[in-house]
Amino acid sequence: MKQTNSLVKTNEPMWKRIWQNNHLRFMLFGVVIGLLPWLSDAGLMKSSTLSYIGNVLIYAVAALGLNLLLGYSGLISLGTAGFMGLGSYIAAYVAKDMELGFWVATLLAILIPTLIGILIGLVSLRIAGIYLAIATLCVSEILLKTFEQLDTFTGGMQGKTTAYPTLFQNPLTRNGTYLLLVVALILVMMLTHNLVNGQMGRALHAMRGSEVAAQAMGVNLLKYRLIAFSLATAYAALAGALYVFFIKFSYPSVWNLNLSLYILAAVVIGGFRSIYGTVLGAFVVWAIPDLVLKNLPVIGEINGLAYIFNGILIILVVMFAPGGIGGLWPKILRLKDKLLGKNKQDKEPKEAGDAV
Amino acid sequence: MSDALMDMQAPLEKTTHTLMRDDVLRVEHLSINFGGLKAVDDLSFSVKEKEIFGLIGPNGAGKTTVFNCITQFYRPTEGNVFFRAKGSEEPLNLVGQPVHKIIRYGLVRTFQNVEIIKELSLLDNVLIGGHIDFKASVFEQALKLPRARREEKALRQKAEEVLEFLEIGSLKNQLAGGQPYGVLKKVELARTLMAEPKLIILDEPAAGLNDTETEALAETIRQVRDKFNCSVLLVEHDMRLVMNICDRVCAISFGKYLACDIPEKIQGNKLVQEAYLGEDEA
Repeated sequence: MKQTNSLVKTNEPMWKRIWQNNHLRFMLFGVVIGLLPWLSDAGLMKSSTLSYIGNVLIYAVAALGLNLLLGYSGLISLGTAGFMGLGSYIAAYVAKDMELGFWVATLLAILIPTLIGILIGLVSLRIAGIYLAIATLCVSEILLKTFEQLDTFTGGMQGKTTAYPTLFQNPLTRNGTYLLLVVALILVMMLTHNLVNGQMGRALHAMRGSEVAAQAMGVNLLKYRLIAFSLATAYAALAGALYVFFIKFSYPSVWNLNLSLYILAAVVIGGFRSIYGTVLGAFVVWAIPDLVLKNLPVIGEINGLAYIFNGILIILVVMFAPGGIGGLWPKILRLKDKLLGKNKQDKEPKEAGDAV
Repeated sequence: MSDALMDMQAPLEKTTHTLMRDDVLRVEHLSINFGGLKAVDDLSFSVKEKEIFGLIGPNGAGKTTVFNCITQFYRPTEGNVFFRAKGSEEPLNLVGQPVHKIIRYGLVRTFQNVEIIKELSLLDNVLIGGHIDFKASVFEQALKLPRARREEKALRQKAEEVLEFLEIGSLKNQLAGGQPYGVLKKVELARTLMAEPKLIILDEPAAGLNDTETEALAETIRQVRDKFNCSVLLVEHDMRLVMNICDRVCAISFGKYLACDIPEKIQGNKLVQEAYLGEDEA
């Protein structure tokens, strides 16, 4: 996985060297999606499209967290939406009611849910599998009820509103906030990449692949389950904070089980253990139905189109491409090599462990 | 309170009696019950430093259960497991220790049905064995701070050396899923070697290997012992392997001790012959 750096040959062209550096590749990806507001300003893209893409970026952050949990560690959580909601309310409350600014708001919006997540994890992570899913579902429902009832803090059913964040005395516009989302997503992608390709990633892999082997190799199961769970919680909470700063409101009805399942769908469709795949999965789940399918004749008229689309897609992915979109990438590379007549063996094994 | 204190001191008091100078492991009066079944019944034996020690017995004799009791996957109902931990002269009673701590004392094991992570490369699988050598925190890893990079690099090199030593270095970047059984067995062995163990426990290392592979395995086990200066405790059905490489063999049947001696004498032992032949008739 880490081979890329050492395999770079000095005589290779610059663009190839940049391409082979994982972090530069993430940044490049960030630049590409960061250019979209200009497209929108130039009238080449509908302004509403940018909102949909922004949404995708936010949910991609949460989905990456769930992928750490589900894809790498093999733990199922149905509580993502609850923690996202908690993050959003805390961010809104601290930024608007307490007027402590964006940074403090985001920091607290990550820290408090993470701490709560750790407490819940300490109790519930001794069990795994379906019981953990039930436990997290309950926590999420409790949080949802709390959002509805705790008027002073959450605004009850009316929800909570906030403004675009102000960075360094600079009030951001919608485009500025969008760029903030891009930066946050790219940072999260990079951190995730580093984590899953290091010792922690291997420990999570071992935990999923064989609990007995993991234990025999010195992996403290509870500790690593807790780490994975609190990271997933932190990602979800960050996503919640980003949501409230970009969308500018937070209602209880947003943070229901439905959302958790959508995030789960993004992970499954995007592919377990694939970082780019997860982001693409989020794009498929949140943008395709609204941006593409709704504009189609006849099909676009159907009510609840997104449900049907995602449902069918999950079935197709599970049946025909269990690796999701991310799992298709190595196959595409191989096909490309075959088509170009490059039958050299040196390419294939190198890609074997590379996280797409 | 006083009971707890007694428990803590007990192993130390018994030191001279429980672990001889050249012993690395001593299993003492080990028993475990599953419901009414006594899977292991009052079993005692000891393994010396740099020794290759075999544990044999007919099917269902409780060999793997003994391994699981030593490595604390099972809590023994009775008895002690004394071990001379890495970097310490005082014997340590492993009973009651958390499973994931055992490797830190220098005791590593393999599994009967290889436990390998299919989605990882062989190199990464071996690196899992270096888990305890990472000191960098999760934050240092996330930000790739110098210590995390340094440790990763050093362990990667070590893992490559171990793979070279076992002659599968050229496969290091291949995914583990889809590799032949013999290679996976080697990967599992390589994983244990990453921890620089004092004692390696091999659960049926020759299972699923053909004759030539088994012969090569015997040589490998000897080399491992010599190069890594460790003892090897193995459960094995392949009698030729056991008789070929073991310095001493302990035979058990239905969880009970039968005999412990050099291989030649075990082969001629009446009780052992009865245990095996009796099983054949049934």
